[in-house]
Amino acid sequence: MADEQKPGGSEAPPPSGSEAPKPAAKPAADAAKAAPPKPAAAAHPAPPKPPATMAATPWDSDLARDLKTHFAESITETSTYLGQSFLVAKPDSVIPILEYLKLEADFDYLVDVTAVDWPKRAERFDLVYILYSFSRNERIRVKTHIAEGFKPETATGVHLTANWLEREVYDMFGIEFAGHPDLRRILLPEEWQGFPLRKDQSILKQDDRWVQENLGIPSGQ
Amino acid sequence: MSLLKKVFLVDLFQGLWVTFRNQHPKYIYTEQYPAERPKVAERYRGAPRLNINPDNGETLCIACNLCALACPETLIVVTSERNEATKRKELTTFTYDTSRCMFCGLCEDACPVDALELTQDFEMATYTREGQIWDRQTLEEGPKPTQYKC
Amino acid sequence: MSETTFLDSTELVLNMGPQHPSTHGVLRVILKLDGEKVLGTDCVIGYLHRGVEKIGENRTYAQFNPYVDRMDYVAAISNGLGYCLAVEKLLSVEVPARAQCVRVILTELNRIASHLLWLGTHALDIGAITPVFYCLREREEALKIFEKYCGARLTTHAFRIGGLQYETYDGFEQDIRDFNKWFLPKVDEYEELLTNNRIWVGRLKGVGILSGDECKEYGVTGPVLRAAGVKWDIRKALPYSGYEKYEFDIPIRENGDTYDRYIVRMQEMRQSVRIMAQAVEAIPEGPIMGKVGKVIKPAVGEAYVSIEAPKGELGYYVVSDGSTQPYRLRVRPPSFVNLQALDRMVAGGLIADVVAIIGTLDIVLGEVDR
Repeated sequence: MADEQKPGGSEAPPPSGSEAPKPAAKPAADAAKAAPPKPAAAAHPAPPKPPATMAATPWDSDLARDLKTHFAESITETSTYLGQSFLVAKPDSVIPILEYLKLEADFDYLVDVTAVDWPKRAERFDLVYILYSFSRNERIRVKTHIAEGFKPETATGVHLTANWLEREVYDMFGIEFAGHPDLRRILLPEEWQGFPLRKDQSILKQDDRWVQENLGIPSGQ
Repeated sequence: MSLLKKVFLVDLFQGLWVTFRNQHPKYIYTEQYPAERPKVAERYRGAPRLNINPDNGETLCIACNLCALACPETLIVVTSERNEATKRKELTTFTYDTSRCMFCGLCEDACPVDALELTQDFEMATYTREGQIWDRQTLEEGPKPTQYKC
Repeated sequence: MSETTFLDSTELVLNMGPQHPSTHGVLRVILKLDGEKVLGTDCVIGYLHRGVEKIGENRTYAQFNPYVDRMDYVAAISNGLGYCLAVEKLLSVEVPARAQCVRVILTELNRIASHLLWLGTHALDIGAITPVFYCLREREEALKIFEKYCGARLTTHAFRIGGLQYETYDGFEQDIRDFNKWFLPKVDEYEELLTNNRIWVGRLKGVGILSGDECKEYGVTGPVLRAAGVKWDIRKALPYSGYEKYEFDIPIRENGDTYDRYIVRMQEMRQSVRIMAQAVEAIPEGPIMGKVGKVIKPAVGEAYVSIEAPKGELGYYVVSDGSTQPYRLRVRPPSFVNLQALDRMVAGGLIADVVAIIGTLDIVLGEVDR
């Protein structure tokens, strides 16, 4: 389940050749792994260490089994890490899974909707839904990997909380939700360009044009 | 009974009695600030200070740069030069930008020799933005606020 | 204008702008009115957005700790507790018992301080000018204890990852005991001022009703949920930091209106005093810091930890990629999610009720906007 930092070896042809030179070119251009922080130390002839991935263990419980029987191929993974269970599903089946969880398994409280950006992966964003059930006192996460430009379906039909939470995900990451009643920016001004929480936007970048027009300051800094 | 209470505004008078009770001078809480300076706690995180060894007047700082690394805002700049005689680093300049400081205390926690300390001084106003960037001398002496006679 | 009759009314759009004494911060509410009745609201937020989540990706775990206090600046210690718990979960480090006990005491004191500020400002919005002075006076005592403990009153930075930085100061236990003894009669005083006051009851009863099911649909947590009849508190359901050792009740009420939320928060203050009284008698001896190295580098993974902040469920979702800086740090703010329900709660009320409802939701814009 090396999906956290997918080396992309299996599907896309090695993108690594073009992307890798970034990390201050660790020795040996082998960098067959487009990955981050576990450099194989400075020894030239040493073989590259595979990128570290989350040490998750498989999650087996009644709920997991139920979900797997219902959504056989749509759920690609069910694991637990540090006692917190999560499942990874295909993008199109997320809403049916949320509905099933709400109606059958009593997960009636959507705690949070958020996204994580893994720019080096083909499916760049990780959309995460955190759910909690009052009656079972259990919390689970539903994750899905979506590519840039993909418009996932909104969860507001299932949980009303998702309204503002999805607006924030749109505002920060640029993920548009199909069918959302009111998709516009929530924390940033309406005319702002750019999606701040994406990894390719550095922390110093602001929408200078907006700042100039509206605040009259030549530079945001 | 409750009709009588309603007509005679009993609940309102009850509240008014609380207010009236609190008019006693022993409940005055206002501190007359410039006249009486508040006593802040010992651990108060106020203005930074570079401590000096009282015996020989030299700075305690060993220029290890740990405070600069710990600071979330990276506002400390420490420069040092190597002293060939003692083979140790000696501090030359130490710049601390109090305008960006959030007084979190991470630099104070990081200092291994207790040279950098956040004192109980809180009167650090200056007239210019540049005046907020303190060099080594200001850090060793501390801010000198103007004392007004009240 | 064409043939309109004299009393014809159209919908008026009124802006309750970011600068407003009753919006508890920079909150802009666009009201659609029919006379004085509110037909709909639209909240515009983001005036206090500082990009805390982006900052989190550019600081090390220990360096991010001070930023966390600045989100819910009224109750800074809870934020610190949530963050430290989340990172400690990722590191799988155990916090020593003494640190857990002192953390509980400070967090409950912080809950009292937050509720006091809530009561003062809420009463002020409704029009009762006296409680704000008394509440802030009580809050002073709590802030003095924070200052003596960690050096700052508001942005405390009291906890560190793995435990505590500062040992309790001499006289800490005595101060807490004195505070408990001195504070309970003050809560009685507030109740005397407000609870049976006909103006208070008239303004708050029946206003802003949000039933238990609606709360769950909107994801509203905290005292708002408990006033609607759902007996749920993270301190009891998913205990953290040693809360299972203390005996306390969860106050609930059935109606879910503003008056009930007031009663719930007053009761919570009393329960907090009870927890503090138990905890201060039982502070164990021992180390205050767990086994955390100088450099905090959790393994690759992610964790979601939430605590019962005074405002609701405050959650931290931390994703680590094995380096010293978090890869993604998401804060699930209770005020943000609670504010969504404003539209539902206000429907059909008057403008004065909007003010009461914003007050009763207990939002802090620092947390809504991050």
